[in-house]
Amino acid sequence: MNFDSYTLTKIAKNDKYTTYDLFFGPNHPGMNGNFGYVLDMVGTEINNVRINAGQLHRGFEKLMERRGWVQNLTLVPRICVMDPDPNEVTYCMAVEKIMNVEIPERAKYLRTITLEMSRLTSLLISIGGAGASLGLYTIMHWTMADRDKVLDMFEWLTGGRVYHIYNIPGGVRRDTPKGFLEKLYETMEYLESRLPDYDSLLFENPIIHKRLKGLGPVTKEEARKTGLSGPNLRASGNALDIRKDAPYAAYSELEFDIITQEEGDAFARALQMRLEYEQAIDLIKQAIKKMPEGDVHANLGNLGMLKVNPGEAYAKVESSKGEFGYYIVSKGEKKPYRVSVRGPSLPAGFLWATKHLPKMKIDDVAVWMGTFGICAPDFDK
Amino acid sequence: MNITELLKDLNSRGLEAEKICDGEIKVIANKDNFITHLHYLQSINYEHLANINGVDYIDENEFEVVYQIYSYTDKIHIIFKVRIPREKPVIQSIVDLWEQAQFYEREVHEFYGIHFEGNKDLSPLFLEDWMDLPPLRKDFDTERFSEIVMGSMRNGGKK
Repeated sequence: MNFDSYTLTKIAKNDKYTTYDLFFGPNHPGMNGNFGYVLDMVGTEINNVRINAGQLHRGFEKLMERRGWVQNLTLVPRICVMDPDPNEVTYCMAVEKIMNVEIPERAKYLRTITLEMSRLTSLLISIGGAGASLGLYTIMHWTMADRDKVLDMFEWLTGGRVYHIYNIPGGVRRDTPKGFLEKLYETMEYLESRLPDYDSLLFENPIIHKRLKGLGPVTKEEARKTGLSGPNLRASGNALDIRKDAPYAAYSELEFDIITQEEGDAFARALQMRLEYEQAIDLIKQAIKKMPEGDVHANLGNLGMLKVNPGEAYAKVESSKGEFGYYIVSKGEKKPYRVSVRGPSLPAGFLWATKHLPKMKIDDVAVWMGTFGICAPDFDK
Repeated sequence: MNITELLKDLNSRGLEAEKICDGEIKVIANKDNFITHLHYLQSINYEHLANINGVDYIDENEFEVVYQIYSYTDKIHIIFKVRIPREKPVIQSIVDLWEQAQFYEREVHEFYGIHFEGNKDLSPLFLEDWMDLPPLRKDFDTERFSEIVMGSMRNGGKK
């Protein structure tokens, strides 16, 4: 975009207050997380962007080198607050790959259910956030209220509302309480019945169409090459999903199609979230119906004293935001030698920010972040 | 290309390739010519660079830079490892191959002190005014650090 054509740029030549640095986060109403961009502004136009990360840096990777294999399970969910379960599952899967352990069938289904429930909680925040960052707060209140129903189910199953620490190496911690699956099925039907309301308020809203269409486009090839993953990749027309390509948990036994959009803009990404939300509800229903009886964890002895044989592995999971990957190196001790976390947000939050933001108006930044699903803790780990 | 063909192909190119489990292999490359191998892998549809991370093998006096590469067509994940000496931690940058490597390399530079030749911007990304050893190195003493910064005591103050 040619900035000289703007009247504001002309004014800026005489008025020194027209150009300024705007700290968009960590303390900004449009920012979702402890992260920030420093925007060089000309009036309401962004001229340049600098990344201001590190507000949340706690050194998870270093901490994990000093704690036991199972103690780390209390750390990993904190790497993504909105969608904590993929972290637990990915960490456990990497450990199981090194130990060469096969988990019981029922545990696979329970993992699938927790993963999809976690996806629901995360997508509800994202959908609500997409509305709220455009000034439509009603949808945010609705989704947060509905999210609480899923959190209630999590509390019943695991004892925790936000961080569940339900998955352990070898399976899951305990079996479902009596009546849980029936109640979960009812909750899913309730969430499904809410979808027409979301649609009429948000996704069929002409203002949303006008604001989001054409915002922050990513082409099919660019999306594949720059490391985008998950919904952002599929919103650009790539039919790729880790749940299909490298099935884990019970996904190989469930029926689902890969949903894609062609446009690759912010509206396609928002719509992608909405469609994957519906798919997650369907997957949970399928898993409840197909779930077999049996053990929920393999016997690995005393988990507190767990020792993992020397080796290395990379495990990955399709989270609500994209590929979560854990690369673990073990030297046969009570603690991991190295845990490296691949978060899904970095390509969008860092690389695409430097590509998209310098052409944008300040009003669109919050919703641009929301549709990309940028979540600060997973690159600030 | 399936996994056995790929292993054969990579071994014939002078790489040490080994299968870890289904759909996952590890490859050890030399630091002088690893970029040619990455070029080749990219040309045969290994187009997704998921991550770059470092590992400090202090006992062997070496750093390892690990590139996580995946092919959407073959559905094979490659853990591509390059060893460099600890005294002279310099490796070539792969920004020309993958744009997002810019930020992954910046991160590894910050946490391991590994210099990436050809990466234009290696300024600190996460840590603020960091003067100590790069923190993810194994010889970085976390307890000493918290004694200095937080005034904490070893073993919770017990003797």
